[in-house]
Amino acid sequence: MSFFFVEPEIYKKYKDEVIALSDSVQVNFQEHLPPEKRRRGHSDREIAEKLGLDERTVREIRVVAERDTYDLEEWEKAIEFKDKACRAFARHGISYVFKYRDELK
Amino acid sequence: MSEPEAELDFELAKQQLTEFSARGGALVSGVADVDDFAAAPEGFRPQDLLPGAKRVFVVGGSPPRAGDWVSPKHEHQETMGTSDRINSLGLKAAKFIEASFGYYALFVPPGVNKGNQPFLSVALAAELAGCASPSLAGPLLHPKHGMLYYSAIVTTCPLPIDGRAEPACPAPACLDMWEAEGTTPCMKVCPIDDGGCLGGDIVEGRFANRRYNTARCATRVHTHWVPGFQKGLEAALDEEDPEKRKMILYSSFFTRTLWSMTYASQSQAQCYECMRVCPVGAEERTLR
Repeated sequence: MSFFFVEPEIYKKYKDEVIALSDSVQVNFQEHLPPEKRRRGHSDREIAEKLGLDERTVREIRVVAERDTYDLEEWEKAIEFKDKACRAFARHGISYVFKYRDELK
Repeated sequence: MSEPEAELDFELAKQQLTEFSARGGALVSGVADVDDFAAAPEGFRPQDLLPGAKRVFVVGGSPPRAGDWVSPKHEHQETMGTSDRINSLGLKAAKFIEASFGYYALFVPPGVNKGNQPFLSVALAAELAGCASPSLAGPLLHPKHGMLYYSAIVTTCPLPIDGRAEPACPAPACLDMWEAEGTTPCMKVCPIDDGGCLGGDIVEGRFANRRYNTARCATRVHTHWVPGFQKGLEAALDEEDPEKRKMILYSSFFTRTLWSMTYASQSQAQCYECMRVCPVGAEERTLR
């Protein structure tokens, strides 16, 4: 293989930790707090220091894990969700979130 | 590159830049101090892109039209990305700064750097420049215009700094809904505990305890883009039956994904449902 990638065993071993530490899980990041007080996710470099890996390995694990979280079925659900929500808004305007909740089901 | 003029009036320069941007279509603009980006990780700060950077100038505008928001076809907005227009203006503003004031100006690329991450958080820049404020749903909100697209320019020109904007989220209607139903329009449409992306609370009139499922949001925002392409290609490569493989590669999903990637010169949002129901800026999206 001519470009860098991580071995699947390394990926499986660290993916949960990497994702949990990364910006992929956002908790309280965008609250109305001064930026210095927000709990931002860790950068790849910071995760690498915590886990004793090199930055590039962490980056590859994170990028793959972000895509690996859901299978293709979730993409189909996305299409269905957007179709229903968009059509409900077109029919009822913003009030649909108040009165026509069942249309989202 | 000419030497910066020592006697440059920075207040006047900012005024000229603001007027230039407004003439180019910006609905809002502002200036952030690079020192305020200390909260961003190392490698994602303005100084990492441009040595000697002092400010970040941000322009915002080019939202979808009111007609786009009310179309019953979600595919319409998926195909009608308008963020490229504000990036075009950002590039012009960078050229204006260098040509008019003699200072370095670096247009922050709208695409991704390595690791599927931006060169700089344009959202953070827009917030620090006072263009808009964060929302529970995620996108920045301008109190009048609601969701806008933003472009950022890092510069060595010490333009006067703007303060941060007053919070626009939650809107009064959202506070009422929270009191009545314990949710808000964005969370009701896309609830994180029921197959969606957003969760959180309203505490003392402010949103708090925000939860955001980034991975699921990616399936909705980039359904027919690079992530969708990767998933579809993986399914095709995993399929051993050549006839079934053909069905996947020629399918409506895969074909639309390829078309979407060719339409867009940059990342193109494909889900607007949390913003479609947001009361902030709704008046500008409501016409006859």
